Amino acid sequence: MMFVPPRNCTSRGRLVADSLTGAWRHSPPAPELSAEELELVTPLLISAGAAAVAWWKLRQSNLRTSAAAIKLQQEYKLSTLEAAVHEKDIEQVFTLLRAEGVEPILIKGWAIARLYPTPGLRHYSDIDLCVHPDKIPLAESILSRPENNKYFVDLIHDEVDRYYITPWDELFAHSQLVRLGEIDVRVVGAEDHLRLLCIHLLKHGVSSARWLCDIGLAVENRPADFDWQRCLGERRQADWVACAIGLAHQLLGASVKNTPVADRAMRLPKWLIPQVLKRWESTDARYLTPYKYHAPMQNYLRRPVVALKALRHRWPDPIEATIWLRGSFDELPRLPFQLGVCFSRIAKFIANLPVAGRGPLA
Amino acid sequence: MKNTQQQLPHARIEQLIIRELEGEALVYDQERGKALCLNQTAALVWKHCDGQTTIPQIAQLMEKELSTPVAVDAVWFALTRLDKMHLLKEKVELPSAMAGMSRRDFSRRVGLGAALAIPVIVALSSSASATTCLPAGSACSSGAQCCSGICVGNNTCA
Repeated sequence: MMFVPPRNCTSRGRLVADSLTGAWRHSPPAPELSAEELELVTPLLISAGAAAVAWWKLRQSNLRTSAAAIKLQQEYKLSTLEAAVHEKDIEQVFTLLRAEGVEPILIKGWAIARLYPTPGLRHYSDIDLCVHPDKIPLAESILSRPENNKYFVDLIHDEVDRYYITPWDELFAHSQLVRLGEIDVRVVGAEDHLRLLCIHLLKHGVSSARWLCDIGLAVENRPADFDWQRCLGERRQADWVACAIGLAHQLLGASVKNTPVADRAMRLPKWLIPQVLKRWESTDARYLTPYKYHAPMQNYLRRPVVALKALRHRWPDPIEATIWLRGSFDELPRLPFQLGVCFSRIAKFIANLPVAGRGPLA
Repeated sequence: MKNTQQQLPHARIEQLIIRELEGEALVYDQERGKALCLNQTAALVWKHCDGQTTIPQIAQLMEKELSTPVAVDAVWFALTRLDKMHLLKEKVELPSAMAGMSRRDFSRRVGLGAALAIPVIVALSSSASATTCLPAGSACSSGAQCCSGICVGNNTCA
């Protein structure tokens, strides 16, 4: 059954969703927000990196001259410039790696931004590349040279290595070359990309609304010969992908017509959408930052009060916990998954304790 | 004394990334790490700074493009702004009457009802930077600023 959340001033997460409904389209639907609601939701859109695409949606509405809209427009301008800088960087990184025999595949970032009506609509901050597993050390050594420090390149991706389960050769065989400035860059194939975007979204607990826009865009702009079987993969992953597309459908109005996931997209577990909306209501940096960027728990060993606070901030998000434990998105309570993740982290922490003991805190 | 009107302003393009957006020019200065937005008037003046066109000629070219009268003073004013933002190869020497002119002085001089927008160059900065979290060891004033969520006693992110 389709979830219809209450629409009131306190549901700021819902307002984020309303601000982005269909925003990735060339002609997005007119926004259904008041100036006050837009004002309320603007900081959330900015912190989610969705300001530019939100501006795109309201640029032809009466709201476009409001103070909040001007802020969003400013972010759009900045994002347009950032996109230009990133595009130059991507060209240079591809040239650098190719010169030493490494052929990368670009994922996320520009690989999805290029499908938006204008490149500045999709904010991104780094260059996500996949390279052949045997070439990772070489790629790392090239990129760690002092003259290449300026490039923010991410070569390690959980969604590819831990969850994606697609052999490199297959990923490469389905990739495609597209023009960027003076060179052709290799981007991941449409089917692999949609699956990867969905898993990435869920892995991070749907923390950023802009990632859900990517899914709406990728589904609606899929090529005519899109191979759904390849995109969905094995049963468990297929359900994850269907749920992610379901979120894009129910929250942002992405069309799922003529897709094999249409039924599942309408039947999401009752806890899922409220959980996403709750997450979107926060501008607190710690909820927008992946755990890997948090300070290690070892840092708090001698500060019990701080350690308790740190533990509270590490309480696993139900969506992330489900993915971490490779669970399914059903109506069952998420607590066992969250506890499972806690136990697994505690076990890892204890296993690392002797190493920590020899560190600077010892 | 140098004839200021005959100067040939030349736009700097080195180390700049430029994008046109709805008549405005967005510029990223790689040397200074600054993002700028030039409104249409400033962008047009800058576009015509090719090192071969005098200031009155720039005004004439703009008149043709915009189909509206363009005062030479508007070009001068834009040049002062472009110079301030390091977007010209060489500093232009202003006529004595224009030196030190503020935006308000300029508005008064060309008339508030002028059809042409005042040349404006603004620095772009993101409000998002305020919500980016700080890594461990950074200076902080509240826990919400830190990736860890914890700002310890000595104002440092845990």
